[in-house]
Parts: sequence; C-alpha cells; structure tokens
Amino acid sequence: MNDKELIPWLEKAALGDESAFHLVYQATQQDVYRTIAFLVYNKQDIEDIVNEVYMRMWRSFHTYDSSRKFRYWLHGITIRQVQDWKRKAWRRIRLFERNRQMTIEQLEWTDKAVLKSEMQHELFCLVRQLSYKLRVVIILRYFHDYALEEIADILQIPVGTVKSRHHLAMKELRNRYEMTGGEMYVH
Amino acid sequence: MSIDKQLREELGQAASTMQVPPELYGRVQQSYQHYMNEKRGRSPMKKRMLVGIVAAVFLIPSAALAASYLADDIFGSSSTIEQRGATQEDYQEIEGMLQTAKGKLTKDEFKEYMNLLKQLMQLKLKITDKNGVKHEQNLTQKEQNQIEKLNSRLEFYFEKINGTAKP
Repeated sequence: MNDKELIPWLEKAALGDESAFHLVYQATQQDVYRTIAFLVYNKQDIEDIVNEVYMRMWRSFHTYDSSRKFRYWLHGITIRQVQDWKRKAWRRIRLFERNRQMTIEQLEWTDKAVLKSEMQHELFCLVRQLSYKLRVVIILRYFHDYALEEIADILQIPVGTVKSRHHLAMKELRNRYEMTGGEMYVH
Repeated sequence: MSIDKQLREELGQAASTMQVPPELYGRVQQSYQHYMNEKRGRSPMKKRMLVGIVAAVFLIPSAALAASYLADDIFGSSSTIEQRGATQEDYQEIEGMLQTAKGKLTKDEFKEYMNLLKQLMQLKLKITDKNGVKHEQNLTQKEQNQIEKLNSRLEFYFEKINGTAKP
C-alpha cells in the first residue's frame, strides 16, 4: 500500500476506527520495527519504542502535512522516539548492564542476520559497531535512501553536521573493513 | 562493488531477517484502545469515578430516607413483613401509627415504646407464616409469657396514644 492509499485509513484510525488501525499497523509495522532495530539492540526496548511510535502517530496525526510524504513524517516520529528513549535519564542507570548484555545479543542477532555467507554481512556488522550518532546517519542514508538535507531535517541538526558524521562513518567503515580483509572500491 | 552499494544491499538483507514479533500487535492495539478511550473521555478511571459519584448521590438521600422510616427500626425493611403476607400499604400504615406515637409520647417514652414494640414484633414475626397466618403453638412457654408481659407494658402507651388521639 502506498502513502496516498494509506492516508484515509490513517485519518479513520486517528478518529478511533479500529479496523483502520489494524490496517495502518499492518502497513507500517515492518518499517517502524526495522528502523528501530537498526538503532536499538535490546528486544524489549525495541518493542517499547514501537509502541511509543504508534502512540505518537495518533496523538500527532493532526500535525501531519498531507502534501509531504507520509513515510518521511513517520521516520521523523520514529527517530524522535528513539532519541527520546536515549535521552531518558533513568534508563542510563541500566546502561552498564545493557552494554554487557549487548555483546551477547549482538552475536545472537548476527547469527540470524547471516543469510548467505559471513563475508557478505561483514559490513553490516561493522555498521552495528558504529556509535549511535554515526549509525543513524548511515541507516537513514543507505536503508531509507534519504538525502543529507532530509537527514538533517529528521535529526533536527545542521546539514554540515550530517555531512561530517556521514564522512566520519564512511571513513570508519572503510578502515575497519580493510582491517578485516574485505575488498571494496573506494568511490 | 562500491561501499555505498554494498551497504544498501547488506542493510536491505539484514532488514528482511528482522521479523516483527506477532505479540507486539496486541500491545500496540491495547495502547491504541486506551488512548482512544481517554480521548473520548471514557477512561476506565474516569468511568469508575463517575460511578462512584453517581452512587454517592443516590446513597445520600436514601440514607436520609431510611433514617426517617420508623418502621424500619422495628422490621429492618418493608420486605420483612411483605414476606409474611403484608403489603407495602400495611407497612405505610404501621409507619403512620409510629409517627403518631412519636408525636404523642415524650422522647424517653417513645424510645421505650419502640423497644417494646420491636421485641413484640420479633416474636410475632416468628410465628407468622408467609400467608400472614399466626401459629401461636410454635411459641415456647417462656416466649408466651414474654408476649403477655410486653402487651401489658405496651397497653399504657397504646392508651396514651389513642387516648389523646380521641380527645
């Protein structure tokens, strides 16, 4: 279902039509879930944020400008919820414990992610090791195909900052990739 | 392959392995329903509060009314005598009688009168079946003596009430 077809359903869902809600959820769940799962690694946290994204969707639907792409608005909400989650101080208390768990989870998750060969997903593993600030730029650029200006708008930071983060992320990926013996052309 | 292209491919492939847990739907749906209820101003909390207020509003006058029913002091409620063949009108009649007594007797006298009447009624209710027929034989000797005693003590009050009622 494309954006245009989805809008009337969204309107209905925001007014309380439950079958419309079901349809909107089915049409958007994968996008929302995957975007978050690229940025946050704990399964429970991912689910919490997915839930918050949908809450935000109903609450803020009246602010949606229908002349713009729905997905763009949705990704804006999703990223903001992830950032909010990261900002919440009380979660930081659990950060140490989480970092410890992450190493284990990362392995489990990567196991599942491997489709054909380990080599093919090496780059993805490296993306997962990037810091959040660099990673979010990579995900928006290469998973959602946004222009750097759009990324700046979504992240609410200057374009210059996005450019430098993008540059830094690519540099790190290249360096690490070469270190692990991968081959690629520098474009 | 350029790193850009490879990133796109790998991210796309990785994404396709990420499956949304099916149980997440229930959770999101619950939040949705909760939000919609809240929006309509029918949150369970508000609903409960409303029920509480309505109940309180109904309770206050009924409590006040219950206190003004003298007959309730003797029988508990009208259903006690209704179960024994009396009607709501009978109950109202008794109530009228008691109200008259209250007006004719002093406060202490009335209190005593009510107390005696209550004891007598308890005994009478005991021997009255659901059709209103009395079965005196069900009483013990002790209970029969008690009734006589109560009657004689009440006579004074009956006379006082009726005597002043017909001047």
